[in-house]
Amino acid sequence: MDNQPIKIGLPRAMLYYRYRDLWRTFFVQLGMEPVVSAPTDREILERGAALAIDEACLSLKIYLGHVAALVGKCDYILAPRVSNFGRHHSLCTRFESTPDLVRNVFRNERQKFLSYEIDEEMKKLDEETAFLEMGRSLDCSGKAVKRAWRLAKKAEQARFKERVQKHELLYKRDGMKVLIAAHSYVAEDPLMGKPVADYLKRVGVIPVRADLVDREAALKRSHELSPTCKWEISREILGGIAMHQHDVDGIILLSAFPCGPDAMVNELITRRVKGIPMLNLVLDSQSGTAGVETRLESFIDIIRFKEGTL
Amino acid sequence: MAEAKTRNISFPRYAEYNCAFKYIVEQALGCRYVMPPPLTKRTMELGTKYSPDFVCTPFKTMLGSMIESLEAGADTLLMTHGLCRLGYYGELLEQILRDLGYQFDFINLSDYDMSKKKEYIRIVRRFNPKVNPARFLTQFMEGVHMVEYLDEITAEYYQNVGFDATGGQYRQAYQDFLTTMYTAQAKSDVEEGYRTARRSLRAVPLDKPRRPLKVGIVGEFYTAMDAFSNLEIEQKLADMRVEVHRWMNVTNQFLNYGSDRFGAGQKNLRVKIRDLCQYDMGPTSTANIWYARECAERGFDGIIHIKSATCTPEIDVMPVLQNISADYKIPVLYLTYDAQTSDVGLMTRLEAFYDMIDMRKKVL
Repeated sequence: MDNQPIKIGLPRAMLYYRYRDLWRTFFVQLGMEPVVSAPTDREILERGAALAIDEACLSLKIYLGHVAALVGKCDYILAPRVSNFGRHHSLCTRFESTPDLVRNVFRNERQKFLSYEIDEEMKKLDEETAFLEMGRSLDCSGKAVKRAWRLAKKAEQARFKERVQKHELLYKRDGMKVLIAAHSYVAEDPLMGKPVADYLKRVGVIPVRADLVDREAALKRSHELSPTCKWEISREILGGIAMHQHDVDGIILLSAFPCGPDAMVNELITRRVKGIPMLNLVLDSQSGTAGVETRLESFIDIIRFKEGTL
Repeated sequence: MAEAKTRNISFPRYAEYNCAFKYIVEQALGCRYVMPPPLTKRTMELGTKYSPDFVCTPFKTMLGSMIESLEAGADTLLMTHGLCRLGYYGELLEQILRDLGYQFDFINLSDYDMSKKKEYIRIVRRFNPKVNPARFLTQFMEGVHMVEYLDEITAEYYQNVGFDATGGQYRQAYQDFLTTMYTAQAKSDVEEGYRTARRSLRAVPLDKPRRPLKVGIVGEFYTAMDAFSNLEIEQKLADMRVEVHRWMNVTNQFLNYGSDRFGAGQKNLRVKIRDLCQYDMGPTSTANIWYARECAERGFDGIIHIKSATCTPEIDVMPVLQNISADYKIPVLYLTYDAQTSDVGLMTRLEAFYDMIDMRKKVL
């Protein structure tokens, strides 16, 4: 037996931003080595765009670039199928297709992929079942897998709670606040949402995130804005808006072109949330941030004009 | 009371299935059905004008069709649930129509948990509180049989109409069949119309070569089936003397593999594509991948993949189709339809595709 730990590749895109603590802790506890791809840069995007179908969303193009960056560098690359956590708790169908998509795109590479499947509505497969099964498929003992799962889940919850608590403090700060409504993989990506938040900070505006809220509470509040919204992440964002729309000076609906759920949910938000300046900003793979900055600048001007501080 | 008077119900145009919606609404629910006007350029203009930009095209088509239904006198609109973005169509369609100022009652199946049987009775009662459930079920099933007949005859039609030796009788027989279905008022009308159609279609002499060009159609559930939305691609291919095969229809997708846990019934299709695809990649991915391989293995000359712009699940199926194309050396034409897709552009691509598969057949 060689003693090299098994290397698990984690593409730094899409669900990574939601599950990084869960994934890392789980694999570390099983004695494996998580390998995370480098933060998104132009090269990663261009590689991914070349591999993707033209019409695919910017987030998928970036994701495929990250997978390509990991190919050949680890024993497995993690590509889960996360369909839903029950009725009206779905993810975009893109998260159903991910494992088969990457296997088909990279079929000429001798890269192994690792999957787990969450589909509570159709198959009664919840997160715990999925992780226990994945752990056992890696030849770990049932006991070790259970322990790793428990610790990973605990770490994830603790870390998220800490982030939310820290984030809530931002609302108490003085100054103009703008709520960014975006999927975490858009908001935090160095080529997508990060330049937006950075620009806002640079001009003295405090960016706050709609999805960094208590998830249980947000899911409940989401019904106020959209009773039949079926996407879990969109519902968290909707709930976040419902909870904080009166604590901020403006809202930026930030999405990656052409995000399926956002195309519809953001339209609904603009129709139902009234009385607050709102910017619908769709990011595509064009290089340069000048265009985005111009739009942000005029949006901030509008808020200041409205508040009489311009 | 609004509930007591007879409702005027409408559901957007969807291929030729509106004849069955009409039958079920009138016969089983005892309400009036408002047939949406046939889809036209105006429908698309209306739909596109009021829809968000990058929503999938069927949303725009359905919005336009709903506006035209309201203009035609509908007071109750129905929208279905669904596994992709379709499941969110209802709420956004209603909001847009209300913002435009239309007044109507909206029954959105996404409001109901469709995995629970008692919800179906609640829905039926909302249409008409006086419905007798047993009678409803009988007549509902007659409507379902109409769908099965429609799918069977339509499949036969597109496989043969290109080879009609009489110059129009085959097409006429199919049109007559559709008229019978759109005007049927009883089970006997449906059964008789179906039998007549079978007889008259088979009576038309065909001039089909021993090995005709065969093309398989796969793709997204609305655009692949709705002739207006796909610019009558099946008729266009048939007119080039191509045998057109499409597995995807309501019968095959829902009834033959029917179960209220949608998708579970397709597990036996999954067996054959296990090497290509481990899971369901989207609502129709398994059927499309299976059928594409089936076409390849049965020696078809080409496959056409049809989807509307920004249809996420079908975009994700494309890498698998590319692999099938490479493995079996079968040409695949990928078509994306948006509200601007033109007839001329499509014709050019189809002609080029036809020339290519025709040449291959002669060489190989």
